[in-house]
Amino acid sequence: MTPVLAIRGITKQFGGLTALNGVEFTVELGELVGLVGPNGAGKSTLFNIIAGAFPPTSGRVVLHGRDVTHLKSHDLARHGVARTFQQVTLFAELTALQNVLQGLHRHVPARFLAGVLGSAGYRREQRDLEGRGQRLLEFLGIGSVRDEVAGELPLGIQKLVTVAVALATEPTLLLLDEPGAGLSHEEATRMMNLVSTVIRERCTIVLVEHNMRIVSRYCDRAVVLHFGQKIYDGAPEGLTSDQRVVDAYLGVAELA
Amino acid sequence: MRQAALALVLLALVALPPLAEPYILHVAIVVLINVVYAEGLYVIMRMGYLSFGHAGYIALGAYTSALLSTELGVSVWLGFPAGGLVAALFAWALGAVTLKLRGIYFSLSVFAFAEVVSAAFRAFDVFGGPAGIAGVPRPMFLGTRLNTHLGFYYVVLVTALVSLVFLYRLGATRFGFTLLSLRTRHTEILAESVGIDAARYKTLAFVISCFFCGLMGAVHGHYLRFVSPFVFTFFLSTDLVIYNMVGGLGSFWGPLVGSVLLTALGEQLFAAGYYKSLVYAVVLLVVILALPGGLIQITRAREMGAARRLGWGKAPVTTAER
Amino acid sequence: MDPYLHLLLQGLAIGVLTGILYVLVALGLTLIYGILHIVNFAHGEIYMLGAMGVFYLQVVAGLPFAVTLVLIVVGSLLLGAVVERAFFRSLRGQWLQLVVASVGISLVIQSVAWIAFGIQEKNVPSYLPGIVEVLGVRLPRERLLAAGVGLVLVAVLYLLVYRTKAGLAMRAIEEDEETARMLGVNADRVATLSVALGFVLAALAGAFVAPIYSLNPGMGLEPILMSFIIIIVGGLGSITGTVLAGLLVGVLQSVGAVMFGAEAAYGLVFVAMIAILVLRPAGLLGRV
Repeated sequence: MTPVLAIRGITKQFGGLTALNGVEFTVELGELVGLVGPNGAGKSTLFNIIAGAFPPTSGRVVLHGRDVTHLKSHDLARHGVARTFQQVTLFAELTALQNVLQGLHRHVPARFLAGVLGSAGYRREQRDLEGRGQRLLEFLGIGSVRDEVAGELPLGIQKLVTVAVALATEPTLLLLDEPGAGLSHEEATRMMNLVSTVIRERCTIVLVEHNMRIVSRYCDRAVVLHFGQKIYDGAPEGLTSDQRVVDAYLGVAELA
Repeated sequence: MRQAALALVLLALVALPPLAEPYILHVAIVVLINVVYAEGLYVIMRMGYLSFGHAGYIALGAYTSALLSTELGVSVWLGFPAGGLVAALFAWALGAVTLKLRGIYFSLSVFAFAEVVSAAFRAFDVFGGPAGIAGVPRPMFLGTRLNTHLGFYYVVLVTALVSLVFLYRLGATRFGFTLLSLRTRHTEILAESVGIDAARYKTLAFVISCFFCGLMGAVHGHYLRFVSPFVFTFFLSTDLVIYNMVGGLGSFWGPLVGSVLLTALGEQLFAAGYYKSLVYAVVLLVVILALPGGLIQITRAREMGAARRLGWGKAPVTTAER
Repeated sequence: MDPYLHLLLQGLAIGVLTGILYVLVALGLTLIYGILHIVNFAHGEIYMLGAMGVFYLQVVAGLPFAVTLVLIVVGSLLLGAVVERAFFRSLRGQWLQLVVASVGISLVIQSVAWIAFGIQEKNVPSYLPGIVEVLGVRLPRERLLAAGVGLVLVAVLYLLVYRTKAGLAMRAIEEDEETARMLGVNADRVATLSVALGFVLAALAGAFVAPIYSLNPGMGLEPILMSFIIIIVGGLGSITGTVLAGLLVGVLQSVGAVMFGAEAAYGLVFVAMIAILVLRPAGLLGRV
């Protein structure tokens, strides 16, 4: 069975600094994989490479058996890859629903002229899209904020909106960059519950996390990076007993 | 309510002119031309691109049509869209290079381009040099040449109305909406991550913007019956930016309000020469300091909410991260 | 020596001299950009005011040259401080408003200048008449003086930015404003200082260029256009980049004028700018 995502020997150098060194792993359909590692391990770099922000120095990214290493991010979105960002990134001046609509646009052709002329078909399409957006927000439990300006929402809700925007593209692979960061314990739990139950039914998920506890609790599998190299790839239960992982995190409180 | 007001204005624009003096018609023509220029510029301003060089594209449109009609005897009616197309073509070519640049780099590049266009028109005799091209004809309609203010007014009115309706509707489309999402480097990255090909959108927006400016530039040239590098200067480009800023960038109506008020005011002051620039500049500074959202902020204070203060934050410089 | 080659050498020499002057104006722009992240459109007007200052103070009022210079320096420092306080400070962080405000200020100064100074061109008599011949190339002493002053000012600026505490503060703010503030750097004072300094550079450039060209209130447009091209090519915020690019543009324009004519030289410069931008979008030495 072709894995959804295969990372083959990805190396990334920035000048003299080697951020990633021969990283190799696969993600199967329906899995929820956690990418972990201490600060500077290369997790965000790897994410950015997968999402098309910049290419690796060497190695390949294979999506559904297709080499997508050098595709730009907007092309990758069309191949079913969606992501959230470490720092909450939204269209701050637009409402929550309008944010989600931007993600939905890719499902319909632009139909520029029809739009300008305001044809009935175009307007129907718009209403249809708005309905889908509404349902998506409700799916994540935030339907009530649809007409609120995104920039003014509390952080926890904003993060859910960013997930809604990513889901709007109907991805097969969803990359979540530190979904729990900055959230209170309750909000983080709410987020992870959503991710690990209803969201994972729609797509394969890879998430980057600092917090080992979250990874142990919610992920099927953990991949640990340290100084750009993979040092562990397996069940989350094994994390605390793996010597290399423990050494890497020595002195870091999250391990408890 | 607004529908009624618009209908009334439209009626006035169509029915009253035969009763007006030529000077009033002149002001009306100049206002209509500037409104289209300002709204043309607005297309790219809504996506975060500030241009101080739109006069260059206006000039391209004007000169194209002028040359076609004076040198090649082409009908003026064909000259108008030709002007728009030439401007659009240059926009497409330049856009490929300059749209990758953000913020001030883009602004300066377009500014430099406009100056080069101006220099080219001054330098080469085929363009008439510093004196420009005189004897640019008015179009023919049903056998008569539209040499009167009244006759040409309707040409300007129709062109302006068609352009403005198109530009207004543009904002209501998904396309126009997506342009808003390209406003800063961060939102552009987000837009790309959901499948929006930012480069294509930006290019199309720039092309549309310059098409209408070139089209109206051609109309402008045929109105004046001459074109010269001293008509389409940096000051014109700046004026357009001022109309946008003073009117407000929050909606389509902002640049419209800004350009109508300031152009009408400017025409009154024109006789005084340099006082016009001074007044424009002072108004601009007052608005920037006191009313950041522009004049339309006054009427839409409640509606706008967070979008009221459309400052774009610290200037991002380039999207060329790859 | 072959006459054409001679002309080219002449063009090259004049180009270098002119380039240094462009650098002076552009440096002020780069300085202001580096600290405040705004491009000051009013810069050309300050240059013009410097030149006009020499005319009115020295030629019309008959003040000695030294006094004139001092007054110009003090005047531009004050003007810079006022502009920063009144406009730039309250708009900090809003890029669009800042740029457009600087355009507004530029228009105000220019309009007032046209009204006050009138359209008649004015001339300032030469500070240092005569020509020096080097290897058959004729260099007007005036231009040598202006270029010399320019070099001195560039050196002074380097010293200021890299060897003084004030300069350290400026570099800190440019590098990372938040951290600098936290470490106690007074960002407001640095901002005022940068703008004031930038204005002084432009005004002095104008003052020393005054005898070379005739003066009119619109004379600021060409230098500022060139400065924009220079800082795009050299990279916004980089002093060395500005110097290099300034010389490059000066030479390119001058040699281009000899080979193709003055207007075409503009086109050449522009094409070069676009070419460099395609290859290096942030400019030769740009950093943001």
